[in-house]
Amino acid sequence: MGMLGQAGDHEWSQQHLSHYVEGELRPRARRRLDRHARGCVDCGRGIRAMRALVYAVQGLDGLAGIRAPATIFDRVRLAGPGGAASSQNA
Amino acid sequence: MAGPDGQVPDAAETEASLLARAQAGDVAAFERLSGAYADRLFMLLYRLLGDRAEAEDIAQEVMLRAWRGITRFRGQSSYFTWLYRIAMNEANRALEKRARRPAGVSIGAQELELPTAPEEEPSRQAENSELRRALNQALAGLPPPLRTAIVLRDVEGLSTQEAAEIAGVSQAAFKSRLHQARLRVRAAVGDEALVSSGG
Repeated sequence: MGMLGQAGDHEWSQQHLSHYVEGELRPRARRRLDRHARGCVDCGRGIRAMRALVYAVQGLDGLAGIRAPATIFDRVRLAGPGGAASSQNA
Repeated sequence: MAGPDGQVPDAAETEASLLARAQAGDVAAFERLSGAYADRLFMLLYRLLGDRAEAEDIAQEVMLRAWRGITRFRGQSSYFTWLYRIAMNEANRALEKRARRPAGVSIGAQELELPTAPEEEPSRQAENSELRRALNQALAGLPPPLRTAIVLRDVEGLSTQEAAEIAGVSQAAFKSRLHQARLRVRAAVGDEALVSSGG
């Protein structure tokens, strides 16, 4: 493959790392990226980095430490039983 | 229909009966129905807005709008999706309002000090605190549509279909936003930090 083809594959691979780790690439496109990444240090590391990114972002879910405020229904209570039927602004 | 964490009032049938009572004007039923998703919804708003006080205010507004609109909910989506959709609209409205404010009043990673999960081991907390900070900062710096995509899909763990529905865009458009968001976050955090995190 010539330099232009390699450069094109590299740019294309970098743009599709997220699709790759998401499993969204068609078999032919996946093989193209695999083939390129085998010989490209940047893209090989890019795949590992993208997988690590998705894993790390999933770990940001701090739900266990966060609770909705006790006041969350205050405005509903103020609106009262008529609030559901009377307003057309929702 | 359960939320992503499987929370439901008691069972799907109970949700249906709570919904019917809420649509008939029963405030307590509405609170029970929506309360099952309150923590998760508040977390989403906090994540998107980056400011706890604002998230609390918007969370109240979301519940009020849901209450006012409950009679028009026809079950075409799950109640959870419908509630989240209202939350997204309100968050976007707040972000647009913020964008019109004078410069200097903006989301900052220092505002988004979310706690780590309590069950996480202290050594792992310390190991990942730097990465967490970098990720939070990168997320906070994304344009709202991209931040929404990565928060709904990767942080919240929703399916692409559900996340796209909540974001109000097609699945193709949603995926495009998600991939752009990941590329930007990767660029901001850096491959070395990510790879060495061992994820």
